[in-house]
Amino acid sequence: MVGLSVGEKHFIQGGIAQDLRSDGRKRLTYRPIYVETGVIPQAHGSARIRLGATDVIASVKAELGKPSALQPDKGKIAIYVDCSPTAAPMFEGRGGEELSTELSVALQRCLLGGKSGAGSGIDPSSLVIVEGKVCWDLYIDGLVISSDGNLLDALGAAIKAALSNTGIPKVNVASETSGDEQPEVNISDEEFLQFDTSGIPVIVTLTKVGRHYIVDATSEEESQINSAISISINRKGHICGLTKRGGAGLDPSIILDMISVAKHVSEQLINKLDSEIAAAEANEEES
Amino acid sequence: MAAKPGSAPTTYSPSLTQKTRPPIFKGNDLDWVRPDGRGFHQCRPAFFRTGAVNSASGSAYAEFGNTKVIVSVFGPRESKKAMMYSDIGRLNCNVSYTTFATPVRGQGSDHKEFSSMLHKALEGAIMLETFPKTTVDVFALVLESGGSDLPVVISCASLALADAGIMMYDLVAAVSVSCLGKNLVIDPILEEESYQDGSLMLTCMPSRYEVTQLIFTGEWSTPDINEAMQLCLDACGKLGKVMRSCLKEATSASQE
Repeated sequence: MVGLSVGEKHFIQGGIAQDLRSDGRKRLTYRPIYVETGVIPQAHGSARIRLGATDVIASVKAELGKPSALQPDKGKIAIYVDCSPTAAPMFEGRGGEELSTELSVALQRCLLGGKSGAGSGIDPSSLVIVEGKVCWDLYIDGLVISSDGNLLDALGAAIKAALSNTGIPKVNVASETSGDEQPEVNISDEEFLQFDTSGIPVIVTLTKVGRHYIVDATSEEESQINSAISISINRKGHICGLTKRGGAGLDPSIILDMISVAKHVSEQLINKLDSEIAAAEANEEES
Repeated sequence: MAAKPGSAPTTYSPSLTQKTRPPIFKGNDLDWVRPDGRGFHQCRPAFFRTGAVNSASGSAYAEFGNTKVIVSVFGPRESKKAMMYSDIGRLNCNVSYTTFATPVRGQGSDHKEFSSMLHKALEGAIMLETFPKTTVDVFALVLESGGSDLPVVISCASLALADAGIMMYDLVAAVSVSCLGKNLVIDPILEEESYQDGSLMLTCMPSRYEVTQLIFTGEWSTPDINEAMQLCLDACGKLGKVMRSCLKEATSASQE
């Protein structure tokens, strides 16, 4: 990332104070979002999201597995993010590992809810086939191809789009088996179950620069952050996860203020994202 | 050594039945009792001791109920040659679990993200400009995990930094709150954490009334958020006082 001169830093901060950012947006406006679904045919679901110059792909694969002994009536979901070296040369090898872990953990926190499974965007009980014996393991993988700031929001949106594109094959369980035997399952090639993704939250990252908040920071603006908050909000307006990024201290009243601003922004973002995803799926069916 | 299955064991053999424990509360109970008898808004008694490790620049040991943590601080030390010049100091944090810390051996490796969370919680409080070109290393070891591990690690680490003489704006106190059904429970133990519907971890600098790290998990409505944050801030204030009195005791003991 190129360093910024003092003059450039003042320009960015001054622009934000006047509600006019370097690319002409207002403080609470997102960059145009482009959604494509079904980009990876071998996966059960996939989506590619472009947010300005930030480009991410999310793919969903489901495999048969055994539910954990502690929660036999729930399937398992795992979210991993990989930062590819095409985004930045420093991501080669182990360089991108810290950022990948941070993004993976933040996404898991926002989308998977508490340990008991409550508040999860995806209902894990819908993934179970035979209680205690067979369930679907959902592997959600995110790939960062190009990074220009606001990776977390883009990945959250990509996962939401990929899940609405996901078709889990229908499974026919063979006749009743007793005791500890593994039941035989027939994976159908024809019929698919779709996920209900209206409950999946979106992630809004609010960055505090000076005394104002901006949404969807580019990487130039991100280098200026004192602190930022990433909030995951669902359609009902409930917070599904919150992470504070950046080291500077924040007054608690400012945090509550940022939460209410994020709620306001998230309503527009959810509507926009849903319409884009629906349009992308319609496009995909035509072609 | 192996006995045939079904034959009577001649020496001690572990029981083969899997014990399932009933959940500690049923869905809609409003007045269940916590397993260790505390009130919902009562934290565990905190025990801190500085100077636990002699060879480190500063160190601290903390015990909150069954959660036992030891933190050593080394530095400021010369930065590795591979790192670029920087005119402010660097902070390097590492949190690791002993293999016997968790009920099931080796489960601590699930918490790799604790190191970066500790880093973020502390970097807002340390005056990095006072040790340019050098690095301060903070190594935390969780000896026993009894719930609410990361908040205890953070509080213990800031005491260790104070013991090492690193200049800070304020001590950092951390507390976590769990949402179990409709109740907010402060400072959860391991059992309560495994049933939680949501959790909040807050770290703040009590005297400056600033939050350095805030993490919410699970679904929260706005009034719950307000209540939980207020609970945490109060608890952090009290924890800050306990930490200060521990530091004062340590210095007055060394002066005698």
